[in-house]
Amino acid sequence: MSSWKSLLLRIGDKSSEYNSSSDFKDHVETCFGALRRELAHSSSEILSFLLQCAELLPHKIPLYGTLIGLLNLEDEDFVKKIVENTQNSFQDALDSGNCDRIRILMRFLTALMCSKVLQPSSLVVVFETLLSSAAITVDEEKGNPSWQARADFYVICILSCLPWGGAELAEQVPEEIERVLVGIQAYLSIRRHTSDSGLSFFEDDESGGDVVEKDFLEDLWERIQVLSNNGWKVESVPRPHLSFEAQLVAGKSHEFGPISCPEQPELPSTISALSYGKQKHEAELKYPQRTRRLNIFPASKTEDLQPIDRFVVEEYLLDVLLFFNGCRKECASFMVGLPVPFRYEYLMAETIFSQLLLLPDPPFKPMYYTLVIMDLCKALPGAFPAVVAGAVRALFDKIADLDMECRTRLILWFSHHLSNFQFIWPWEEWAYVLDLPKWAPQRVFVQEILEREVRLSYWDKIKQSIENASALEELLPPKGGPNFKYSGVDGQEKPEQEQALSAELSDKVKGRQSAREIIVWVEENIYPTHGLEVTLSVVVQTLLDIGSKSFTHLITVLERYGQVMAKLCPDQDKQVVLIAEVGSYWKNNAQMTAIAIDRMMGYRLVSNLAIVRWVFSPENIEQFHISDRPWEVLRNAISKTYNRITDLRKEISSLKKGVISAEEAASKAKADLEAAESKLTLVEGEPVLGENPAKLKHLKSVAEKAKEEEESTHDSLQAKEALLARALDENEVLFLSIYKNFGTVLMERLPDASSDVTLQSLKSIHGDSMAVDLEESSTMEVDDENGIPKKSQSNGGKATNTYTVREKEQWCLSTLGYVKAFSRQYASEIWPHIEKLDAEVFTGDVHPLFRKAVYSGLRRLSNEL
Amino acid sequence: MASLFKDLAKLSAYRDRRFNGTQEEFEQALLNSITVYIGNMSFYTTEEQVYELFSRAGEIKKIIMGLDKNSKTPCGFCFVLYYSREDAEDAVKYISGTILDDRPIRVDFDWGFVEGRQWGRGRSGGQVRDEYRTDYDPGRGGYGKLVQRELEAQRQLVDYGAGSLGSFPPVIPPHYGRHGGGHGHGVSNRHGRDYHRKRHRDDDRYGRESSKRNSDHESRRASDHESRPEKNPRFRESGDSDDEEEDDRKRRP
Repeated sequence: MSSWKSLLLRIGDKSSEYNSSSDFKDHVETCFGALRRELAHSSSEILSFLLQCAELLPHKIPLYGTLIGLLNLEDEDFVKKIVENTQNSFQDALDSGNCDRIRILMRFLTALMCSKVLQPSSLVVVFETLLSSAAITVDEEKGNPSWQARADFYVICILSCLPWGGAELAEQVPEEIERVLVGIQAYLSIRRHTSDSGLSFFEDDESGGDVVEKDFLEDLWERIQVLSNNGWKVESVPRPHLSFEAQLVAGKSHEFGPISCPEQPELPSTISALSYGKQKHEAELKYPQRTRRLNIFPASKTEDLQPIDRFVVEEYLLDVLLFFNGCRKECASFMVGLPVPFRYEYLMAETIFSQLLLLPDPPFKPMYYTLVIMDLCKALPGAFPAVVAGAVRALFDKIADLDMECRTRLILWFSHHLSNFQFIWPWEEWAYVLDLPKWAPQRVFVQEILEREVRLSYWDKIKQSIENASALEELLPPKGGPNFKYSGVDGQEKPEQEQALSAELSDKVKGRQSAREIIVWVEENIYPTHGLEVTLSVVVQTLLDIGSKSFTHLITVLERYGQVMAKLCPDQDKQVVLIAEVGSYWKNNAQMTAIAIDRMMGYRLVSNLAIVRWVFSPENIEQFHISDRPWEVLRNAISKTYNRITDLRKEISSLKKGVISAEEAASKAKADLEAAESKLTLVEGEPVLGENPAKLKHLKSVAEKAKEEEESTHDSLQAKEALLARALDENEVLFLSIYKNFGTVLMERLPDASSDVTLQSLKSIHGDSMAVDLEESSTMEVDDENGIPKKSQSNGGKATNTYTVREKEQWCLSTLGYVKAFSRQYASEIWPHIEKLDAEVFTGDVHPLFRKAVYSGLRRLSNEL
Repeated sequence: MASLFKDLAKLSAYRDRRFNGTQEEFEQALLNSITVYIGNMSFYTTEEQVYELFSRAGEIKKIIMGLDKNSKTPCGFCFVLYYSREDAEDAVKYISGTILDDRPIRVDFDWGFVEGRQWGRGRSGGQVRDEYRTDYDPGRGGYGKLVQRELEAQRQLVDYGAGSLGSFPPVIPPHYGRHGGGHGHGVSNRHGRDYHRKRHRDDDRYGRESSKRNSDHESRRASDHESRPEKNPRFRESGDSDDEEEDDRKRRP
């Protein structure tokens, strides 16, 4: 890499390029010197690289802005091009709704303003354009308030520029910026407060209903107001342009042409709560809230920060996470080396966890954050592991209120994290969960972590890892072997006949008999004399046993002999029995149960509906609040269905492109042929219509082939579209079935709907709370402000031993939590079927808590009814 | 996204010499592949462990364990096939360099599994890297094959007393289950030892055929563990009458 490039890239970093100096002024001067020398002969290369750096390393934008300001003194045309270029990118980003680009380019414009490249008033014009678009959107008459997500986003972008240029704007154009702020104030008064209880990490504490938590925009607005009152001083934003002020003022300010915001989509012609809700959902997908704060540490860990510094550091961290996904080394080194004069480990941990747990989805797969946390633990071995452990403890203390989806992610993360650090954890701190009832969320949490650890490693190893709290062994999963009915050991009292049949089947498989031969054998020799139940049991158990050695063995058996099972279980009723047989064979191994059922669905031996029915069978319902096992199976079934639909959509979109190009090819070939046909050629001195015969023949066959090609792509597109239509219908049936089942089981167990029951009241229905051992709770003080129990140092987490929720209530709480989690995760797939669901499931007599869980998962406003 | 730092030319540090095609074709295959190669695995890591870890990057289509071509036991690598390219990319990005079964594993794009690639290419049947290693790696069969042969040769010249074993790294328990596990000796003697490895689903039917050979083998190994290749419990040894394992692999596309 040429040296000016590495200087640009490394500017602001403590690196060899800058002789490990950390003085920004030096950096800017050195880099500027190098660029000035190169400007004459590689200006276009510098231009594009500089813009790229600014977009991908946004925490260095003030440095790049200052550099451009200095270059402006050397070469006005070069900087003019930068401004024009930026304007085009910015307009593109607005048109395509590229949120990250809009946000970052606005910060870049702010930095250009600071270094006198742009007039402050040009920036104010940009702000006003966005603000007026936002105001129109939320206007009930002229706009479309269901698109408030975009309006909010624009306003957030404006506010986000102020830490970087508020001081300059207030000094140079005080009236204009005041006008913008008044405009924002007005906007805030007409927009709706976003209450996203469906997306909050913790189940809302409904008792304090009056205290409405600020949404992201309201919160940022407050921080900006504090900043404004502080004279716009921000510690976390470097201001390198100040060192060059005397020079920079001499630069020529460039024009920034007008920009325009895209129109908001029309309101649907028939305005109904449903169509409004659908549009709102769509808008929120396109303009998602960037982050949601996870307040897990006591305020003392971060309170010395100014409110705005917290926002700025979060911006830095989120941008590094966004742009350095996949570059481990750079990601970790930028994360730990932000240009701020204070420590921020706690804030960093909170930010990463907020992404890991972000609802409905994190920007990247949760595993990415797992990797980042590991790398930071290695990069800051003295500080970060303890902070991570603190986060885990804080989340563990509040686990009963943590959203179900977040709990699942936390379990997967923590088990994976520990597997990378020798499974070392002070388990003795959590040994007390054994004294809690088996449905206590903390106990279930520990048990599920151990389950996942065993899957990533092996039983004995994990047993060893909990030696410091060996009582927890009780929570380890069973040792995982199969439970084969016909193994002939352990006094399995199976009729000898069945035993013999199983052995015979096993021999046939070893003897490589075909599936067909086995089907015949089963139909002639077993089924007639033994009936379905025994036949199914013998066949399924024996085949599973043959496939029990590994994942590959399982799929080999299913590929070869799946047809035998399919033949026996052609309908849903029998498939449910088949799945139950799998559950029984692998009752000691949740992973293999899940894998086997998943693969059977893959080979279409069982339908997703059969799986749903099995999940809602009595023995599984009993486990809803004490184990992830049934939920894992249900999650797999829905996600497999969803993946199939996604694949079809992808194929269709590429086929559509194929159709267009095939059509073009066909019409071109046809035109070529016609042109050739109408051409006059001289044959033996006489003018004849048409090209020479050989060429004509060739063109004809090309045209025919192109036509055929066009037709066949058309046909395959139609075929796929038909498949998709069917899949969507099946999806509707699937969600109907899931919701009906949920509705029924909840109705049976929730307290009477008329009794004004809330989640909070479920938690406080204590059977015999007085009888609970209160001896420990005297050491506990609950910090009422944030609800985090302060643990006494001496007895670890014992304080939380006041869990008193009864089994039935916990069952309801857990199940409602999963209802919400599923609804949220598949909201986009559920919304299209909402009319049908409303008509068939969410009717008037559905339990209000069930309805509430679904609605908040779908982020559907309940007052739209 | 961070194209500023990524060396795009370097898709994979490894160029498969058995790839029939040009460098461009090789790179194209890597760019479109939904298969990842996993290296530096322990011989004892199971498919289910791989499944648990790698399914966190996306839905898995197949897992193909790399096997020693002589012993038909895992030899420390595998292929994972995904359904989508994106998931394969994430597996490379997020799993490579992290720990599986106490070892940092390597995850790379692979140009695509074809029959035959599941076998180790080393002279002794395992991976080439295990031929020449001179370190003692308990997760990968102890010393490298060359060193093992050397030690074997020395052993034939001098009959070491048990006392000299002290100079060698800790003893791996000679036997771990499946092969004859439950035949001839109890399970209990394998537990509570520092180096015991792995849980097993005891598989009597598969163990039976080889148990005789094994127990014979085991009695020898008790004294010369340091030079013998470690046997992986989860797979039958070669020469069994039942060659289903091999056949399973052949059925793959």
